[in-house]
Amino acid sequence: MRPVSLRVVYATLVGLVLAGLVHIAAVLAIPVLSEKDAVSRTRTSEGLDHPQSIYAVATGDDPSTPEAWLPIPDPAVAVGVCAYDLADGPMRVSARTGPLSLSLAAHARRGAFYAVTDQAAVRGALDLVILTRAQYDEALADDDENDPSRDVRIVAPDSRGFVVVRVIAGLPSQRPAANAAVQAVSCTTDTPADEAGKDGSGKGSGR
Amino acid sequence: MKLTMPEGFGRALAAGGSNPASRRGRRNGVGRLVARLWRKSSVAGLAAYALALGGVLGLASADWATSGGYPFGGVQVGDWTAWPRAGAANADPYTRAVNARRGEIPLAVGEGLLLTAAADDAGQALDATCTYRIGGGTPPARAWTLTVAGRGPRDPGRAPVREGFTSTEVLRSADGRFTVVLGPEVQPGNWLPSPRASGPVRLALRLYDTPVAASVGSLDRSTVPAVTRLGCAP
Repeated sequence: MRPVSLRVVYATLVGLVLAGLVHIAAVLAIPVLSEKDAVSRTRTSEGLDHPQSIYAVATGDDPSTPEAWLPIPDPAVAVGVCAYDLADGPMRVSARTGPLSLSLAAHARRGAFYAVTDQAAVRGALDLVILTRAQYDEALADDDENDPSRDVRIVAPDSRGFVVVRVIAGLPSQRPAANAAVQAVSCTTDTPADEAGKDGSGKGSGR
Repeated sequence: MKLTMPEGFGRALAAGGSNPASRRGRRNGVGRLVARLWRKSSVAGLAAYALALGGVLGLASADWATSGGYPFGGVQVGDWTAWPRAGAANADPYTRAVNARRGEIPLAVGEGLLLTAAADDAGQALDATCTYRIGGGTPPARAWTLTVAGRGPRDPGRAPVREGFTSTEVLRSADGRFTVVLGPEVQPGNWLPSPRASGPVRLALRLYDTPVAASVGSLDRSTVPAVTRLGCAP
C-alpha cells in the first residue's frame, strides 16, 4: 500500500512541476500566438497612407465608433494606428502640429519602443522614420553631409509593428478637430525610388 | 516562481530515478507477470495523471493570471495605483500577455501615465450606488483626463451623459484645485454620473505628456486626488 501512495505523491509532485512549466510557457506564448493583440488587429491598416481610426471620440450626437476594440478607451482622446512592415521599406510618419496636443508612439510585439509628443516638433513638423538596422545603416551612408536629414530615425526591434497617433480633445468642441487631426497624419512606406524623388523635392524647396 | 522551478524539477527527476530501484527487489516467481502488468499500467496511469494535472493546472493558472488586470507592476500612490511599465518594451511577461489578450494599446513612458483606483481612501471598493468626492491636485502634466468605467460592456439602454473630465473642462476653485463628485444623483459643480445602476466601478486618471512617468517614486499621496465616500443609497 505504501509504495503506491508514495508513487501517487511523486506523480502529484511531477504534475505540479509540470503545471509550473506549462504556466510559464503559456504566459510567454500568449503574446506570440494571440490573434486579438494590437499588432495583429492593426495589420488591416498596412496599405493605408493615413492612420486607421480605432477610436474616434464622440462628437455631438455621433457616438464613438462601434468597431472600437480598445478595452477601456479614454473618451477624450482620438486614437489612430498605422501598421508597418519594414520588409517593404522604412516607414515614414509625418505629422503637422496643430492646436491640439498630439503624440506618436511606436509599438512592436514586445511593447512601445519609442514615443514622442508634438513638443519635440521642429518648425511645426514631426517626421519619424522607422527602419531596421540595415536600413538605418544604408540611410546613414546615403546622407548628404552638407544637408543632413531632419528625420528622427528609430531602429525597430521587429519588422512588424504599428505607430499609434493620439490627439487629446480638451473640450467637447475640439472633438471633431481631434478626429480630423488623427486622419491628417501621413504614414507612408519609403521605397528607394520614392526616397530619391523626396530628397530632390526637399532640397528644391529649401528645407 | 521561476526561482523555485529548478529545485522542484530536480526533486521530480530524483523521484523518478529512485522509484524503479526500490521496486526491483520485489520480483518473484508467479506474481511476476501480473506485477509487471500492474506496474506498467499503474506507471502509465500515474504518468497520465501527472500530465493531466500539469496541463490543466498550468493552463488554468495562466488563464487566471492574465484574464483580468495587470497582476504586477503597479505602484501604490495614495488611493491610486500607477502603471508606469504597462506600455514599456521591458514590461513583465504577465503584463505583455494581458495586453495581448485584451488588444490593449497601453500608454508608452514618453506619452503618459495611467493611474487607476478601485477603492476609496477607507479601502472600500468603489460602488456605483455610492457618492464619492474626488478632490485635490494632480501631478504635473500637459493634460489629464479623469474617467469612470464599470466592469464589462456598457449598458445599451443607458444614455451616455458624461464619462469623464479633462484638465481643460473641469471647474476649479481659486487655488487651482478641483473637486469632482461621482454619484448616481445630479450634483452641482463637477458631476460625474455613475456609469451604471449598480456594481463595482473603477476610476482612471490618465496623465499625458508628464515628467512623472519616468519617476513614479516621486509621487505621494498629496499629489494625487483623494477619493472619499460621501454616502450610499440605501
